[in-house]
Amino acid sequence: MNLVVNGEPRTLDVEARTLLVHALRDGLGLTGAHIGCDTSQCGACTILLDGRAVKSCTLLTVQAEGTEVTTIEGLARDGELHPVQRAFIEHHGLQCGFCTPGMILTAVDLLERHSDPDDETIRRSLRGNLCRCTGYHGIVEAIRAAAGERNGTS
Amino acid sequence: MIPAEVEYVRAGSLEDALDALADPEAKVLAGGQSLVSVLKLRLVRPRLLVDIGGLELRGVELRDGELRIGALTVWDELVEASELRRPALAAIPECAAGVGDLQVRNRGTIGGSLAHADPASDLPALTIALGASFVLRSPEGERAVPAEDFFQGPFLTALLPQELLTEIVVPPPPAGSGSAYESIEHPASGFALAGAGALVLPDGTRSVGVTGVSGHPFRLDSPDEAEAMLAGVDVFGDHFASAEYRRRLAEVTVRRALARAEQRREEDERWTA
Amino acid sequence: MDSVIGVPRPRTDSPEKVSGATRYAGDDVLPGLLHGWLVLSTEAHATIVSIEKEAALAVPGVVAVLTADDLPVVAEGSGRSNEPLARSEVVFSGQPIALVVAESEAAAEDGAEVVMVEYESLEPVLDLEGAMRPGAPLGRHPGEEDASGMESVHAAVGAGEQELPEEELSGNVLKRSFREEGDLEAAFETSDAVVSGRFETSWIYQSYLEPQTATAWIEPGGVLVVSASTQGAFMSRNELADLFGLPLDKVRVRAAPLGGAFGGKLMLVEPLAAGAALVLGRPVRLLLTRSEDFQASNPAPAAIFELRVGARRSGELTGLDARIVCDRGSTIEWGLEDISSTLVGGPYRWRAFAIRSYGVQTNRVTFGAYRGPGAPPAAFALESLLDELAAQLELDPIEFRLQNAVVEGDVGVSGRAFPVIGARECLERVREHPIWLERNSLPEDEGVGVAVGYWPGGNEPASAACRLDRDGRLTVVTAVADMTGTETTFAAIAAEVLGTTPENVRVVAADTASAPFAGVSGGSKITYTVGRAVERAAEQARERILYVASEELEIAPSDLEIVDGVVRAVGSPDRSLSLEEIAQKALAWGGRYEPIAGQGGVAQPSSAPAAAAHLAHVRVDHETGEVEILRYAVAQDVGRALNPALVEGQMRGGATQAIGWALYEELRYDEHGQLVTGSFLDYAIPTAERVPQIDTLIVEVPAPSGPFGAKGVGEAPVVAGPAAIANAVAAATGIRPRQLPMTAPRVWALLQEASTRTETPPA
Ligand SMILES: Cc1cc2nc3c(=O)[nH]c(=O)nc-3n(C[C@H](O)[C@H](O)[C@H](O)COP(=O)(O)OP(=O)(O)OC[C@H]3O[C@@H](n4cnc5c(N)ncnc54)[C@H](O)[C@@H]3O)c2cc1C
Ligand code: FES
Ligand code: FES
Repeated sequence: MNLVVNGEPRTLDVEARTLLVHALRDGLGLTGAHIGCDTSQCGACTILLDGRAVKSCTLLTVQAEGTEVTTIEGLARDGELHPVQRAFIEHHGLQCGFCTPGMILTAVDLLERHSDPDDETIRRSLRGNLCRCTGYHGIVEAIRAAAGERNGTS
Repeated sequence: MIPAEVEYVRAGSLEDALDALADPEAKVLAGGQSLVSVLKLRLVRPRLLVDIGGLELRGVELRDGELRIGALTVWDELVEASELRRPALAAIPECAAGVGDLQVRNRGTIGGSLAHADPASDLPALTIALGASFVLRSPEGERAVPAEDFFQGPFLTALLPQELLTEIVVPPPPAGSGSAYESIEHPASGFALAGAGALVLPDGTRSVGVTGVSGHPFRLDSPDEAEAMLAGVDVFGDHFASAEYRRRLAEVTVRRALARAEQRREEDERWTA
Repeated sequence: MDSVIGVPRPRTDSPEKVSGATRYAGDDVLPGLLHGWLVLSTEAHATIVSIEKEAALAVPGVVAVLTADDLPVVAEGSGRSNEPLARSEVVFSGQPIALVVAESEAAAEDGAEVVMVEYESLEPVLDLEGAMRPGAPLGRHPGEEDASGMESVHAAVGAGEQELPEEELSGNVLKRSFREEGDLEAAFETSDAVVSGRFETSWIYQSYLEPQTATAWIEPGGVLVVSASTQGAFMSRNELADLFGLPLDKVRVRAAPLGGAFGGKLMLVEPLAAGAALVLGRPVRLLLTRSEDFQASNPAPAAIFELRVGARRSGELTGLDARIVCDRGSTIEWGLEDISSTLVGGPYRWRAFAIRSYGVQTNRVTFGAYRGPGAPPAAFALESLLDELAAQLELDPIEFRLQNAVVEGDVGVSGRAFPVIGARECLERVREHPIWLERNSLPEDEGVGVAVGYWPGGNEPASAACRLDRDGRLTVVTAVADMTGTETTFAAIAAEVLGTTPENVRVVAADTASAPFAGVSGGSKITYTVGRAVERAAEQARERILYVASEELEIAPSDLEIVDGVVRAVGSPDRSLSLEEIAQKALAWGGRYEPIAGQGGVAQPSSAPAAAAHLAHVRVDHETGEVEILRYAVAQDVGRALNPALVEGQMRGGATQAIGWALYEELRYDEHGQLVTGSFLDYAIPTAERVPQIDTLIVEVPAPSGPFGAKGVGEAPVVAGPAAIANAVAAATGIRPRQLPMTAPRVWALLQEASTRTETPPA
């Protein structure tokens, strides 16, 4: 099956039962997609599928045929971190970092649709991403700051 | 957790899909947000997955005076659809926005949700309140089943093995109607411990569907006497929430949904004027 | 140069973590890697009759099906640390019984699915109080070799404990402890108010986001190498060596970057991956699924606290009478009964107390450490009752606590004097916070609660090493598993000592073959102990640097300073040498200086207790029982905030876990001992939606022997949170919750009960 991963066309030889997260991790070495649960709750495996955040543990690889996948490894452009990645560093949006790739990719999707989300919108959008370390405070601040930077308001 | 071995085919057309479903051990795969989870737990073990994700059964439109929603429309499209801005229909995006999380709403389809018929899922209650019907397609042709008759038990619907849900048809309420959806969520799963969809017509007629408290969603025949009506329902309880508590939550959601639907009536009058 | 201490800085590992470049224990790529999958017991208490492997071995890709007999374990005795796979008696549902190893994860799971285990059921022991009664069925049948390993009811008396009175108890009571001081009944008699209550808390799962993972392989020369999500590399090495009878130099453990741990990641998966690698001679990875992690790891145990406390109208606390029952699950090696019996006294002075505590085995999972082990339940019980006393005596809850809070030198119920402790300072800070000031002008369904708690802190000898590299940057080497950003803090400490920037310090977590010794990351002691060792190591390096510079510049070391990475003469900054130049001189071929290095160690004389006070502002939906946290603040004494951003991260993370304890989290077992909340679908942890932005108030009461005055900060911020929330719920509703978590159905039931009570006046 064929798909585009982080801008590069890829051909994968997988069983029908292979979850996308396993294909990315084991097949392509993209271990930034983490597995934190088996019931689709934690969001650690979040990737962008045609620009939209989805949980790669809740998707068969074959379902992604013909799509464009962006993982955390593919978010930086020309060696420059994505503004959301930078904001997570500056605003202490991470501790252990296990939730971080999924948080960032969910935030990227959120900011695609809401240019200036308030805290409540940000928090509601993160409902499918669990973090056990930070209490979410820094994560919310990072996303707010990334939105602000984009809008030139901070 | 990895699904057991399975075969897979991607349907190019509705006919293809129906053909493939002739296999008694085949299972329809839409967004996969419910099915992939149960495959991972190996709770179901189909021989073949028929992926209908590529079919053109997507979108919200007003056609022949009816609101038609394709079975493959994902939650997020309902949240955003301009056709659903009317206060009389506001319960639909409101309900969709409360389902799962951002990622699930990007992928999960409403057809999948209705066909899966989880007794704690949200939308079924609302489809009942709105008097929606579901278009089911089999090799023999098409039939329409009212929402109320579609849900038959936990994970059990009127769908036949070789049948697909293609469309949800909602009769648009007259100007000056209001609708709302209310639920009390389980703190972990986010599914409804109790949920109620309500529609209030200009003449004050009220229609309510309830979910989460029993084997399948149902219509509350006399919403004004919610407490008495619910007293007769066989409500289930579990280690988290007793039957008594769930019954009380159902009353609360019915009352709250009706109150908000009532408020929206005026807004709808202004909107449609 | 400005000090780097006290300056907020991002964690040094942030760039890799936001890019997906960090390799956690499950991410290493190894040629020929095999994958393990566990077969877990489906019975809570049973004897294994047989294990049928053939069907699994026939699955394509399956390499082996290992059971207890197949592992090269030499350690004897039961208990989980000696028995990574159950030998004959299964003592909890979820206990690992067999390990299927295959070429792929999918094949391993396919194999595990068809391993057939036949059991002979035994009666499961689940009711904690019932288990204690004489004649109760036993949760584990002691084998002959165990008789000595099990602490008997008449076991030796520990520090600060007293002679035990005789009691009729079953063999499930593995340990008792007893502390008594003063005349308790007299203390109660002179009290103006005495309140009591029975408090229950649940089994709580650490919920680290990365499930437990270990990869093991054999290196040429027969060295067993284990890379694991572990909090203690040395501890794992030592225990693996003991378990498999290997010399220490034949075991090497690497602590991979941790995806969260909170006390729970020690030696559960390492022995399994290592055992399989030893048997098969190939690399083996065991990655628990979340469901397995829920069932088969080591969560915090349930407890019952029965307390009676008294006070005088003057506000003086009088007596504390406590009976504590700690569920040990199937753990026989240790229990929380001892620490609970000291924590229950809180940071307060008591005239008299009598505290009895019991550790009881049941057929539930083994328990483990979780952030402040034993402390949140103890604080929940005590601080709830203190609120009631304050109400009865019409005292201000904060003033009342302040009046009784310990200061340095006060002797606690442990029998030891408290070192410097900032409990009072924390209370004074929250007293001025808007949440507290506005507490009396809230809508009827809202309320504010306060509580204070502390964590005694830990100490353990620790060491660190450093060297100056030829680029003038310092490399610090420790064996620490970084949980809280300690590497970032070590860099700041070393930079401060050396007079350079943290960017010019690299911190390396080495494996047990090469790192200086450090203990387990736990007990809030890493910054306090290893941080001090790093400080000393850097001081030694600094001396050597000054020596070289002094020789080269012909200036006495005492007239030199290091500023911005440059050694210069005090007062004439142009006479200088950069650290880079000095390093190169000390590393030059044929050179005259020793390479610049430093060694530091500590054996801290005392621990540094950390206190924290919490304020919670809640709204209670009287129709549904749902509790919403509207505002939250924590004031914590951190000694010295070396990096305020990291400290605040700990405070907020801890407070959020406290919200989980208070409102949502509970591992529930059914009447057969089966876990019914074994996934994030059933077990709720706080989501972004359910916590507010949390205000942090950093209080700095320096610890005399911590690095720059710092104390451990990890555990304290969880301790009093559930109590503060319970007190807030009481303020909003008038009901007094006695059980955690305060789930919506429970609060609703309490409200129902209260309303029927007020409707039917007592006859
Ligand atoms: C984390 C998470 C949270 C969730 N929270 C909620 C919630 O709060 N409330 C709620 O209501 N739901 C919730 N859901 C469920 C979610 O709404 C559904 O999983 C989703 O909408 C199902 O659609 P799907 O396209 O993914 O269906 P699939 O998973 O592909 O299919 C589901 C079932 O329906 C059948 N099927 C699918 N489409 C058709 C069709 N057109 N005709 C006939 N049969 C069909 C399939 O064979 C399968 O049995 C949640 C799911 C997840 C993963
Ligand atoms: S691993 Fe995908 S949601 Fe948890
Ligand atoms: S940073 Fe550890 S889970 Fe979010």
